[in-house]
Amino acid sequence: MFKRSEFIARLTVGVILIGLPALILGYQFIVRPQLSGIRTIDISASSPENGGFQPNSFSVTAGETVMLRFTSIDVTHGVAIGPGLGVDLGQIDPGHIKEVTLTFDEAGTYTFYCNTWCSVNHWRMRGVIDVRDRVNPNVIPTALPDPVIAALVAEGVDIDASVHNRSSAMSSMPMDDAPVLVERPSAERGATIAAALTIPTEFQDDAWRQSHTPQQAIALLLTQNPNTPQTDLADAVAYLWTRSAASESLARAAPYYAQNCAACHGETGGGDGFMAAQTAETPVAFADPNYLFTMRGDVLYAKIRRGGMGTDMPNFGTLLTPDETWALVDYLWSLSVEPNNSNR
Amino acid sequence: MITLPRPAPPSARPAMPAALKTLLKARWFQPALQLITLFGFTLAILAGFFGTPAGSRNFGIVFVWIVWWALLIIVLVPFFGRVWCTVCPLPAPGEWLQRRGIIRRTPGKLHTLGKRFPKRFKNMWLQNFGFLGIASFSAIILTRPHISAGVLLAFVLAALGLSLVYEKRVFCRYVCPVGGFIGLYAMMAPLELRVRDCKTCLEHGAKDCVVGNDQGYGCPWMVYPGNLKRNTYCGLCFECIKTCPKDNITIRLRPFGSDLFVAQERRLDEAYKAFIMLGCALVYSTVLLGRWGWLKNWANMDTLPHWLLYAAGLWLFNLVLLPGLFWGAAWIGRKLAGEMKIRDLFVAFAYTLVPLGLAAWIAFSLGFVFVNGSYALSVLSDPFGWGWNLFGTADAAWTPFAPQLLSFLQVGVLSVGLMFAVNTAYRSARQFYADHRGAFTAMLPVAGLLTLITGVFMVLYLG
Amino acid sequence: MPPLIVKRRLILLCALLVFVAVWFVPLPALRASGTHEFSLDMRQFEFTPGRIEVQQGDQVTITLSSSDVVHGFYLDGYQINQRVEPGITRQITFTADQTGKFRYRCAVSCGALHPFMIGELVVNNNFPFWRALTLLGVSLISTLVYLYFGANKA
Repeated sequence: MFKRSEFIARLTVGVILIGLPALILGYQFIVRPQLSGIRTIDISASSPENGGFQPNSFSVTAGETVMLRFTSIDVTHGVAIGPGLGVDLGQIDPGHIKEVTLTFDEAGTYTFYCNTWCSVNHWRMRGVIDVRDRVNPNVIPTALPDPVIAALVAEGVDIDASVHNRSSAMSSMPMDDAPVLVERPSAERGATIAAALTIPTEFQDDAWRQSHTPQQAIALLLTQNPNTPQTDLADAVAYLWTRSAASESLARAAPYYAQNCAACHGETGGGDGFMAAQTAETPVAFADPNYLFTMRGDVLYAKIRRGGMGTDMPNFGTLLTPDETWALVDYLWSLSVEPNNSNR
Repeated sequence: MITLPRPAPPSARPAMPAALKTLLKARWFQPALQLITLFGFTLAILAGFFGTPAGSRNFGIVFVWIVWWALLIIVLVPFFGRVWCTVCPLPAPGEWLQRRGIIRRTPGKLHTLGKRFPKRFKNMWLQNFGFLGIASFSAIILTRPHISAGVLLAFVLAALGLSLVYEKRVFCRYVCPVGGFIGLYAMMAPLELRVRDCKTCLEHGAKDCVVGNDQGYGCPWMVYPGNLKRNTYCGLCFECIKTCPKDNITIRLRPFGSDLFVAQERRLDEAYKAFIMLGCALVYSTVLLGRWGWLKNWANMDTLPHWLLYAAGLWLFNLVLLPGLFWGAAWIGRKLAGEMKIRDLFVAFAYTLVPLGLAAWIAFSLGFVFVNGSYALSVLSDPFGWGWNLFGTADAAWTPFAPQLLSFLQVGVLSVGLMFAVNTAYRSARQFYADHRGAFTAMLPVAGLLTLITGVFMVLYLG
Repeated sequence: MPPLIVKRRLILLCALLVFVAVWFVPLPALRASGTHEFSLDMRQFEFTPGRIEVQQGDQVTITLSSSDVVHGFYLDGYQINQRVEPGITRQITFTADQTGKFRYRCAVSCGALHPFMIGELVVNNNFPFWRALTLLGVSLISTLVYLYFGANKA
């Protein structure tokens, strides 16, 4: 009834208006996932105020291989998965895709999180991966409490207190009159000074160092070296506090600090990051020894892992392994003192 | 460029080359092109709704607002006039439904309610306000794929709806905001569709070109080809070439801008189209390509009051300030040169903004097409931002093209535009003041204003 | 050839010569050798400062920072493209050896108006701009001369 040309034209219109959408959408959403062979989870990333990760939680079975495809839809995000997996996809620019194929060996809870500053609420941008046991998929293993934090709680330490000189077994040493450090202690000078000092054995003990403040350490040194000026003792502690940090773990911690901490605490620990004015409490300045020398390493560790109540300090315990957290603590110590360049 | 265009003799225009005539007479010719653009259009809409919201990685944004726009304003309109309207897919579904046919000439009347379009809308005002309306949201429409796709789809639906109610291409002729400025700037093109000999038409009573015959439909654009003097409202659908039994219609080359001097067809609505287009080029060059972030945020509707201020400024500038300046220039010119009907002089001088406005749009468009054209490569391979790589170019990096050449071209285009505009001002003035001196004096204030406007563009681009 | 046509062609030729001269005549470079340091902050969709002016020959160091999301700093004509993450400052250094206005543009998609996030580096003396303005004057005057003397007065 039509001429052939009219028929071809109508067919073409049909193909364009119905066939083309069906082909494209069908391929992308039905055929393509089936072709890949392994389970594929598409996750879109946008700033938390626009929805954050979608989806922001999913379950996999231990031993199952899944492919995660992340895309960004508004601004650049970064994706890492922790703790302890060592998965960092790096930055994902809007409209780009990054994928990773993973097999989770053990049941447990993992977190995928944005590690590139993307919004005022950047730190809320996290998602949860439930890894279920193959045998008992309904039993979700409860995470063990962190032993360091448990010990602090048992000890009665207030993790949110701003000064920690008076806590701990050193209560015999009153530190209310802790001297003000006029200039930043120098680990380099401290290395020379320490060689001439009597160093109490406590300094060899990692556990002691982690549970005491540098100010307490200065006081302890003073009891053995009564005639040494306080500034020299501060230099010595600067050296003794930072000497055991492996340079490679500091090198790993540095970019982590830059990505996750610098926005508030400042690139060099000045407490002056570009977000500093917007947090509930002013971010502390690690570069200020008068602050950091009153802190205990294990409390810093706990603050990083648990976050700060009501301060806008987020928790990183679900993202970092304990070792990674200690490396970050070492990095914070290094911010408060002049580095020892002689052995680096 | 500034040779005075000589109007072609009214009769004995040459016939088209035989091959071109065969092509334009073929009923499949226009639909074939429309099907190609319909394909791209469907892809753009799909990408807009289903693809990534990141505009720079979305076919719907990159191919509409960079590739299509550049092609339209830098190549098609200045050199081929309304030829985009030949291939435009937007009205195609509506027209095919009216005709109940895509290629074939269906006998009988068009399938439409056949209502007459209200007389008060039979002008460019709807297109003027439509363009201003879209321009007020441009920062949003240009950058959000789903909104952009929604607007395009709304165009198709509007065209479809109007074609069901009214006869023929009412949408294209009176509503389409793009069609309005294409029509205005098509006056510049060195290509025209005209009758070869007016006498033939006068003597021919049947007027197949208006009512149609078995070779084709009556003019869908509601134009009488026999009286066609300007490109403005001829949509180059070539139906009249098919229907004319006298073989009296031809496509021919002519000097750039010949239509600007058709005095009897100048109208206030077209004059305002010229103001709005130049005004928007100026506003976009300031807001989008300028260095003022707060203006961009206002245009991007960071808060409603900010956007309202921006939109009010845009409308005021285009509808009041710019026309006011031209009125002033025309008024001073009249004071210097002698009594004349001020409104007619004002409208005539507004047409000087056709060459200058087109030049400004070309300069503005070069400014972001050179910079962002490279997005087309990556989007071609991954139209939806889904991680496809069809042609291996999905990871092509954003690379601005030749920034030094850019300012060179912008200055060149603007200078030529200015010369053309001043020439237009003089030739139009001669239509009011018969003597050379009078006309020259009358257009001096307008020439100054045109130079000032061009100067503002130079400051924005190079200063 | 009718004298009017000759006159027109003569005017056009002169205008063209002046055009070419204005755009291509070499101008003495006023080279300074100062150093300039700037801090430049980026946020959606703005550079602060939005305009930087230096003298030709200056050594320019710009410390880049971002205050909201990842941006990039691309400088027209200088092959500089530096990604900038919030919280981490980056430094770029270059010699401003050409005069003119060079736009710096965000190089990392940072949201809807990313393509329009633009600032300007002006290297003085801004000869291309002065040439353009001169051309503007030449365009006007040559057209007026052409119209006044070349028009058919009848």
